[in-house]
Amino acid sequence: MTKSVSEVVARGQDNLDQAQRIAAGSRRRRYMAVVVGWVGFLGLWWALSAWLGSEARLPSPPRVFQEILIILEGDFWNQFWASIVRVGAGFVAAVLIGTPLGFAMGRSRYWGNFLQAPVVVAGSIPGLTYAVMAFVVFGISFWGPVLAVGLISMPYVAINVAEGVRGVDRGLIDMSTSYGRTERQVFRHVVVPSVLPFIFAGVRLSFSLAWKVGTLTEVFGSSKGIGFQVRRNFQLFNMPAVIAWVLLFIVFMLLLERLVLVRMERRLFRWRQWERDQ
Amino acid sequence: MTAAPLALGKGPGTPGRVRRILTSSQGAQATAIVVFIGAWQLLTLVATRVPGPVEVTQFLYTEITGGSHGGIITGQFAEHFAVTLRHFSIGLFIGFTAGLLAGVLVGSFVIARALLNDTVLVLLAMPAFVWAFLTTMWFGIDWRAPVLTVAFTAFPFVAVNVAQGVRSITPELKNMSSAFGVSRWKQFKHLTVAAVTGYIFAGLRFAIIVGWNGILLSEWFSGQSGVGFRTRYWFDANRYRGFVGWVIVFIVFIVVLDRMILNRLQARAFRWRDPVEVKAELSNPDFDQVGA
Amino acid sequence: MARLDIQRLSKVFPPPQKGADPVTAIGEITLEVEGNVFVSIVGPSGCGKSTLLNILSGVETPTSGTVSVTEGGRPARLGYVFQDARLLPWRTVIDNMLYVRDDDGAPASDTASRYLEMVGLEHTHQMFPGQLSGGMQQRVGIARAFSVDPDLLLMDEPFSHLDAITARSLRDHLQQLWTATRKTVLFVTHDVVEAVQLSDRIIVLAPGGRIFDDIAIDLDHPRRSSDPKVATLQAEILGRFEEMYPSNVSGMTPGDVST
Repeated sequence: MTKSVSEVVARGQDNLDQAQRIAAGSRRRRYMAVVVGWVGFLGLWWALSAWLGSEARLPSPPRVFQEILIILEGDFWNQFWASIVRVGAGFVAAVLIGTPLGFAMGRSRYWGNFLQAPVVVAGSIPGLTYAVMAFVVFGISFWGPVLAVGLISMPYVAINVAEGVRGVDRGLIDMSTSYGRTERQVFRHVVVPSVLPFIFAGVRLSFSLAWKVGTLTEVFGSSKGIGFQVRRNFQLFNMPAVIAWVLLFIVFMLLLERLVLVRMERRLFRWRQWERDQ
Repeated sequence: MTAAPLALGKGPGTPGRVRRILTSSQGAQATAIVVFIGAWQLLTLVATRVPGPVEVTQFLYTEITGGSHGGIITGQFAEHFAVTLRHFSIGLFIGFTAGLLAGVLVGSFVIARALLNDTVLVLLAMPAFVWAFLTTMWFGIDWRAPVLTVAFTAFPFVAVNVAQGVRSITPELKNMSSAFGVSRWKQFKHLTVAAVTGYIFAGLRFAIIVGWNGILLSEWFSGQSGVGFRTRYWFDANRYRGFVGWVIVFIVFIVVLDRMILNRLQARAFRWRDPVEVKAELSNPDFDQVGA
Repeated sequence: MARLDIQRLSKVFPPPQKGADPVTAIGEITLEVEGNVFVSIVGPSGCGKSTLLNILSGVETPTSGTVSVTEGGRPARLGYVFQDARLLPWRTVIDNMLYVRDDDGAPASDTASRYLEMVGLEHTHQMFPGQLSGGMQQRVGIARAFSVDPDLLLMDEPFSHLDAITARSLRDHLQQLWTATRKTVLFVTHDVVEAVQLSDRIIVLAPGGRIFDDIAIDLDHPRRSSDPKVATLQAEILGRFEEMYPSNVSGMTPGDVST
């Protein structure tokens, strides 16, 4: 019953080929399913809009697509850029305020307890409040959305930074002390790189939330930006335009998250890849 | 290997005790509240349009007891709150049930996931105010607008969490159960249900938070009654103490509900997953047994 | 060539929880070390070896007694090798070598490169610690400690987390480095055999942090365990050690444990 070595190797190769074929097959099936999913979604939408009849109820996909093209050829990039700048500025504010707060919370048990409640409540406040508040404070202005985005993202950054500060590797700090590194050096070379991923996590977690609140604030108090465009078309009862702007908003937000954020994170934190593999 | 924490001075006399109470966790939280109210009061001195804590409390008292504001408008609290709660519950029920169904499907079948994943992603990214607008455009000023706003907003969050829960039941655990000859009923009860319950709960919690946000928006933009509507009523009338009063009401509601009640329930449901970790193990990379 | 002068050192930690006793990590240690010697500190867990090193490196302060680590009158420069390599995971190997230095520029990186080469890691300059195996990371740790040209080198069970083969290889690297540089080394280990192979002098600590024995080893460096002189000495000292810490392996028969 002994097999020759070549027989065993050939059998092994057969099995491997078969396994690869099966894997490729199921990969193909999954791609097909995604395509079918999109086709099905569009088909359902089309059928529903036909059944409802009027454009004011549910415009058909081609109609919305047409509107999308109009917007893209028109004012879109202007408006989108306006929104990005506001949301971006808000994130910067959130990081600038949230990081020192997080540091205080992480290093000192007292400040951790003191700030815990306000930060947590700030994170639970419905976005409407921030939007209206920002509008009341700044009126129709660039700064309204910045304030709202800053306030809603700040708790996420602060809580994550606190976690990061608490989790700094004491062993690395002791090592630095035993080699005579100053406090500034320890802060710069050990603490900051440890905490940086957590700042990023705070931004990433609050990313979509911040966009939603920022856009909502634009609805209230902006003369530019995607939120403003949605409100304007809502008031004009222009359903195709409302849906078109919303879809564009979602697609670009998802693209931003996938392409920009994830890439940036991967580059900044190259060294973590191998840590994880270990 | 940090030094053991210093014990605070336990000398005789009041200063030690008072300091300990003040710096305890409850003491810190209480101080935070006091500081917040103090800062609020200070703010009113600078920004004169901002109503202070005293005025807002007076307003709320009148509003809740049905008294008369300035002799003209009657306080209405219970009716608006009841309307909102009713619509909120119905919408939550719809969104939760649909999300549960979708989540189970997506979590159990790879094909379902491939089919629905992108749709759920888009729905997750949809801002709540868009649902408020859309439902108003579809149904006008009608009970269906707030209800469906809640449903649409909550649905994707429930679906995503339930799917995660279903996926957490790995085939390895199922194989292990079969190998030990565990009955199918016991498997279902201890394996499937127990694993998924925590995730279902997490999904429900998210649904409540975003749903509450959604209904406030819907009532703000196009309601005739309810918490969101009443908040806007005072805002439009430029009565900011009324506006701030109602803002406090809906914030307190969701904070109490989420951070005090649901929080605890979820911690219980997830006891197995998030136990208190032993920090020492995390900072000591043991057993680096790879040869050079 | 450092001078280490420890007089009546003791270290007591406050109780870990309410109602417990304070923890005496070091009862009393009086020790003098001088010259280019390799000194091992041997003892079981809980005998205060790591605490002693922490006090010497300034991470902990003594409860009583004096500690003086000097080089020709001035405070000595320390190098430290830990059980876990303690490399900054977000910096490359060469940057880790440079982090612990006070100088910079070409002379610094030349020195760093030289020491990396001595431990056989000249090709890893631009790699991250996460890409290296445990043994390689530890070699970087050792190279790092030697590269700052310390007056006193503290080593805290540096090979205890490695498998036997890697540990043996690293001991060879260490002996190579030491015979080339002849630093004053304080080497903490629980492994008596290892201590005999590496050191000129073995200080044995008892639980509770007191010196139990002080053994001089007078053999040439570098030493191989295959050398009969080394092996004999290892067996003899191990025997003395076992007298101090008898193990409790009693004979058990089937049926002793009921199911």
